[in-house]
Amino acid sequence: MQAKPSTLKVLDVVSLILLGISTYLALVFAPTEAVMGEVQRVFYFHVATAWVGMLGFMAAGVSGIIYLRTGDLKWDRVEIAAVEISLVFFFIAIVLGSIWARPVWNTWWTWDPRLTTAAITQLIYIAYFMLRQGIEDPDRRARFGAVYTLVGAVSVPITFMAIRLFRTIHPVVIGTESAEAQGGFNMTADMRVAFFFALFAFTVIFVDLFWNRIRMGTLADKVEQLKLKVMQ
Amino acid sequence: MTESTLTTTTHRPAKSSFWKAIAAVAWKDLAAELRSRELLSAMLVFSLLVILIFNFALELDIATRRSVTSGVLWSTFAFAGTLGLNRSMAIEKDRGCLDGLLLAPVDRSAIYFGKVISNLAFMLIVEAIVLPIYSVLYNTNLFQPGLLLVILLGSVGYVAVGTLLASMAVQTRTRDVLLPILLFPVVVPVLIAAVKASGGYLTGAPMTDILPWLNLLIAYDVIFTAIAFMVFDYVVEE
Amino acid sequence: MFFLETPPDTSQYMVAGYAISFGVMLIYVASLFIRYRNLNRDMSMLEEMDKDK
Repeated sequence: MQAKPSTLKVLDVVSLILLGISTYLALVFAPTEAVMGEVQRVFYFHVATAWVGMLGFMAAGVSGIIYLRTGDLKWDRVEIAAVEISLVFFFIAIVLGSIWARPVWNTWWTWDPRLTTAAITQLIYIAYFMLRQGIEDPDRRARFGAVYTLVGAVSVPITFMAIRLFRTIHPVVIGTESAEAQGGFNMTADMRVAFFFALFAFTVIFVDLFWNRIRMGTLADKVEQLKLKVMQ
Repeated sequence: MTESTLTTTTHRPAKSSFWKAIAAVAWKDLAAELRSRELLSAMLVFSLLVILIFNFALELDIATRRSVTSGVLWSTFAFAGTLGLNRSMAIEKDRGCLDGLLLAPVDRSAIYFGKVISNLAFMLIVEAIVLPIYSVLYNTNLFQPGLLLVILLGSVGYVAVGTLLASMAVQTRTRDVLLPILLFPVVVPVLIAAVKASGGYLTGAPMTDILPWLNLLIAYDVIFTAIAFMVFDYVVEE
Repeated sequence: MFFLETPPDTSQYMVAGYAISFGVMLIYVASLFIRYRNLNRDMSMLEEMDKDK
């Protein structure tokens, strides 16, 4: 058993500290939004977790392609780690979006492009795990997983565009269309600090979790190989 | 039978043999289906039952019919489509045809395109029978060139992805239940665009409203045919 | 607008939101930890069995 690299140990601690600071900035430092009240504070983590979900989604697609190119099972472990983290963080983002939507739009769920696309991504990833579960042979499992993540990675942006052809009520907070949709708002300087810090903190958290999860996959594969060797 | 013709006619994969192989695979399926008719009859009866269920679930009177016809049609096609895809790939797997095909010295993607053509043919035949029945039952004219184009484009996209995923699904333990779970979340764009475009033609919406959906369908068809073409090798590799 | 009403009290939603975020993250990290520990245990057990052979 390899000892945990010290860089990773440091990263674990840094992630925790960043999460703490980010929580402080979001809950205490940032001013209360005038129209929506306290619930707007959910926004910082909502966007940050969705961002992590996106990072995981992209990492999964890329590692899927690399796996198909190289056939190296290492990339399969990277892919499954990315999918798992993306699944967890998109889930948080969707729940936070729902919680925000309830007081602001008076509904738990809206068929908004981003929210719906995130939900469909979840379905794709659940299907991904079901697909993997049904296959015994590790090589085939990795190949099918990579093909399916690739198909998902291409279809999700198209899904997003398709849903966006419907009218959206999701507020665009950054950019020129600001505050056009109901529930939008202009960020003050302090809000920006909390917002960008949350993005940064969650990016580091993503790297940390990703690394840990990949190491776990490596260990799991070693255990599997050893099991085969011992059982003979 | 057909596998042996495949092996004997194509020693070296050349351009013309690629097309011949596609035709041979597609023809093998169509000829087998012509004899047994089990796939088509199952898909057809199933689609009629889905329409029957929708009839009572939604109370398809004249007012609702206007707005939901395209949705009902596409749900029917999507459900019947999974039935057909699953069956057509499962037959290959069970009878060992897939292994035979893979031994044949032809480009693997020829097998994919052959299967796409036969699956598409099945789907189009079912649609060609469902449409007039729906027209008669609900006194709506569904035979508009625009609508037929949408149905063709939507079916191509659906089958292009469906054939790829079905060939994965039949190689798993949970194959019968897995295909719709794999397929539906990734064909969402096809279904949205097809429902919207068909709805547009049925309600006489201006072309500017329909065109984006048609473009989306065409883009999806092209992209996913290309992807499936590139990755099919990995799906059938032993 | 001077008589802008005070913002509605939506703090319960905020609390729920943060509780769920931290809850889910905690569960995930705990699951990583537990899976890791189980794998380590399996590993040492298998290594011993391998040595005995």
